[in-house]
Amino acid sequence: MSGASHRPQRVPCGVGLGLRWEFLEQVLDGPALDIDFFEVSPENYMRRGGYYPAALERVKSGYPIVTHGLTLSLGAADPPDDSYVSELADEIARLEAPWHSDHLAFTSSGSLAFHELLPLRLCRDTAHRVADRLEALGDRLACPLAVENITYYAPMGKPEIGEAEFLHALFERTRASFLLDVNNLYVNAKNHGFSPERLLAELPLDRVIEIHVAGHTKTPSGLVLDTHGAPIIAPVLELLEIALAHTGPVPVLLERDNDVPPLAELVEEVRTVREIWKRAAARPRTNERERHAASV
Amino acid sequence: MAEAVYGPARLDRAGVDAWLARHAIDGDDAVAMKTNVERLLVYRDLVRKTLVGALKLAIPRTIARLGARFEHELSLFLAERGPRTHYLRDVTRELMEFWAPRFRDGAVGPRYLLDLARHEALEISVASSPDAAPGSTDELSADARLLFSPSLVVARYDYAVHRLPADEDDRSEPLLVETALAVYRDAEHDVRYLELTPLAAKILELLLDGEALGRAVARACEASGVALEPSVIDGTSRLLADLAERGALVGVDPLSGNAGDEICSSPSEDPR
Repeated sequence: MSGASHRPQRVPCGVGLGLRWEFLEQVLDGPALDIDFFEVSPENYMRRGGYYPAALERVKSGYPIVTHGLTLSLGAADPPDDSYVSELADEIARLEAPWHSDHLAFTSSGSLAFHELLPLRLCRDTAHRVADRLEALGDRLACPLAVENITYYAPMGKPEIGEAEFLHALFERTRASFLLDVNNLYVNAKNHGFSPERLLAELPLDRVIEIHVAGHTKTPSGLVLDTHGAPIIAPVLELLEIALAHTGPVPVLLERDNDVPPLAELVEEVRTVREIWKRAAARPRTNERERHAASV
Repeated sequence: MAEAVYGPARLDRAGVDAWLARHAIDGDDAVAMKTNVERLLVYRDLVRKTLVGALKLAIPRTIARLGARFEHELSLFLAERGPRTHYLRDVTRELMEFWAPRFRDGAVGPRYLLDLARHEALEISVASSPDAAPGSTDELSADARLLFSPSLVVARYDYAVHRLPADEDDRSEPLLVETALAVYRDAEHDVRYLELTPLAAKILELLLDGEALGRAVARACEASGVALEPSVIDGTSRLLADLAERGALVGVDPLSGNAGDEICSSPSEDPR
């Protein structure tokens, strides 16, 4: 992780849910939920007053919160603007988030903001540039950072290296952690024709601090879109189980952003994921088993 | 990449060659991009979907009244200016800055649409404005500068768009009548609208600009061609008392010279 946190925090454990406004009032006014933590996009609460920041303050009193941003634009040519970084630092501190994550993507170019995660060119220069930026940002945000592998539909030029090599080059140069999104891994595998299990085995799983799971949809042309708009499918849950076997029981988060169903359905989905998480928590990690086997 | 995401509505194979050349992308990189041009354009759809979703939350009736024209006007904004803000909720403001001259010219549709868009957009803008800090409860004097909730704004329209039905399918047209509203967020976080007379609107605008109370009233009367009579003072007192009760007036700036003639009682204290 990049940077050092010096604030009191509640570190999440178990299985959480992305906090969405569609069910915010139920979280506030309903009975305690079988959800271990919430994750929020700080941009939705920053630089504003009124209902939502006040509501989030109440959520914070009942659940640990981690922050997951969308607009640091880690891979952009230019660093994020100072005022935005200051506002983000204030929000992370206000929420007492134990770490802040964003995406291995660029979301801006010059003065333009895209409001979408665009993929990075897979080359060592980019990996090193992002790593250096993470180091600088970790200090400015006074918070440990993590970065998430994204879905990509088209490459940004001819890749110089593969995704696994890119991630290793990145994490060799930064203290930031890895937020592994197994749905993104699955979607990329389907769209680009590779084995998700094989890529998973090559990733720097020792750096994983959190895992995301979500659902996706398929277009008529066969392209799989990372919509966060459907329940998680079984192959993604299987990937999650494989990943957890390597990482141990790191926090897992269910993301649902579109076609959000009733909260009860999401809580049920969280319970399904928690069963997998519990199995991982109950057994030694894959690499520990391998060490044990080697020593016998 | 901006051009691929926000650029002209069409980016076919021929257009891609020109685009790659403009950005000096050649060799294997160009081949990789050209091979995947359809997938590259997926990003254009995703970006539009996100932006349209946010805009429909902010200005749904304006978009409904624009009909098919909305897509064209959005494309123009994306191609010629594009969003600059990190905050999705602020894209509406940027879009309206771009749209304003076109709407005023009547190039887009009926002229009242700009007022309707501004009025609709105020809801999210006022709902998300900073929270008010508590103010002092000193007596109000002519020299006092007043502290208002940061959410309070005076909105002025050429048309009475605030009286249009909330129904998105409604197509009735608003009256052409100068309109001024005080818009603020109350203690329950709800956005409230208060119709103002022209004189009250002018006084409030001057107070929001930091003018001292007595001078604001005098200047507003002068600008409005109204004699500064006791009835104006009474009306101002009632307006300020009302705003204080609603939480929109939070007190007196302690740094202002609040030692002159009393102009009205502090609304937060018993005037008896």
